[in-house]
Amino acid sequence: MTTIDKPRIALVIGSGSVKCAAALGLMKVFEREKIGLDMVVGCSGGSIYASLIALGWSVQKATDTTLKMWTREVTAKRNTRALLQLALPWLVKFDETFGLIDDSLVNRRFREGFAGATFADMKIPLFVTATDLYNGEQVIMSEGSVAEAVRASISIPFIFPPHKVNSRYLVDGFQSDPLPIGVAIKEGADIIIAMGFESPYQDRITSLMRYNFQMSSVTSNNLLKTNYAFHNLAHHSEIIPILPEFEHKIKLFDTDKLPYVIEEGERAAEKQLPFIKGLLGI
Amino acid sequence: MEIIDKQVDGVTILSLTGSIDAMTAPQITEFIQAQIAKGNTKLVADLKGVDYTSSAGLRVLLGAIKETRAQSGDLRLAGIQPDVQKVLNLSGFTNILKTFADPDAAVASYK
Repeated sequence: MTTIDKPRIALVIGSGSVKCAAALGLMKVFEREKIGLDMVVGCSGGSIYASLIALGWSVQKATDTTLKMWTREVTAKRNTRALLQLALPWLVKFDETFGLIDDSLVNRRFREGFAGATFADMKIPLFVTATDLYNGEQVIMSEGSVAEAVRASISIPFIFPPHKVNSRYLVDGFQSDPLPIGVAIKEGADIIIAMGFESPYQDRITSLMRYNFQMSSVTSNNLLKTNYAFHNLAHHSEIIPILPEFEHKIKLFDTDKLPYVIEEGERAAEKQLPFIKGLLGI
Repeated sequence: MEIIDKQVDGVTILSLTGSIDAMTAPQITEFIQAQIAKGNTKLVADLKGVDYTSSAGLRVLLGAIKETRAQSGDLRLAGIQPDVQKVLNLSGFTNILKTFADPDAAVASYK
């Protein structure tokens, strides 16, 4: 085995809505063990926690911020224009800004939650991924407003309108890679801690939205597996998967389950800790 | 990492105990290479004693699969533990290799 004197450690947090808060549990373990990170990469829900971790905030402050930002209210207000685009397309022209939910509240929540932070303010270098609506490319954001980047990264298809950043319409990061390990490889990471989640499948498909979610899950789970395989084979060093298990179903806005999610993240990290420490020689 | 080999009906069973990762990968690769050099290309890896595999572990398995198949053999897995199964599923490895509940079933599959 080739030894690396001081391996660069990356944490990659994939898409998974509230489940991504498990990364805070992992950070509790890493902080206790004094394992530092050289970069954090986040996608979709994972971009929220990647940003909170990169800011260097405590687990408690990160949890409190999530509880303020991500509540059911952010999807409560329908986007009237989108409804008209569907019902009366000859009257209200359909375009790339379509999204069933009015995103003004979530935009405000992110701006307030991240308190105007930019990538330059991060204690740990941060990379947030989204997907270009027009050509499908993965877009890696590492400068400018963190709130804008996170908002773009969580543009769930049909739900939130694509978000315009630097004249590109960006949709959810999971659509190009639900677990963007490639970003960490490209940025020169050696040891990559990859926390990923498979998208849940619907028990029954009883509405157009459930059908939409199901199709998203089918595609993104297959994308997750193919990309994960490729990255594992392409990387020169170690990719350590941290895959928390949840006995209870965690839905998009189950923020009341945050303590449980964080605990499961902590448990999953503890399980891999002996190997990580062995790899780091500590 | 402890590796014990055993011949059953022309198939070589490799019983592994420990983790398959960057630290143990060279040892496992060397062991498998030696088996292939001896002409033992029908392999079964009994992973009952393996609790963990990382990216380096996956690369070892893939290397062995490619090399044995190029010589009309194969590497088949048996006794996979849940944590290892999760990684194999996630990485799509279960789509390209044959897995069995125990080594006997894996050996029988070569007939």
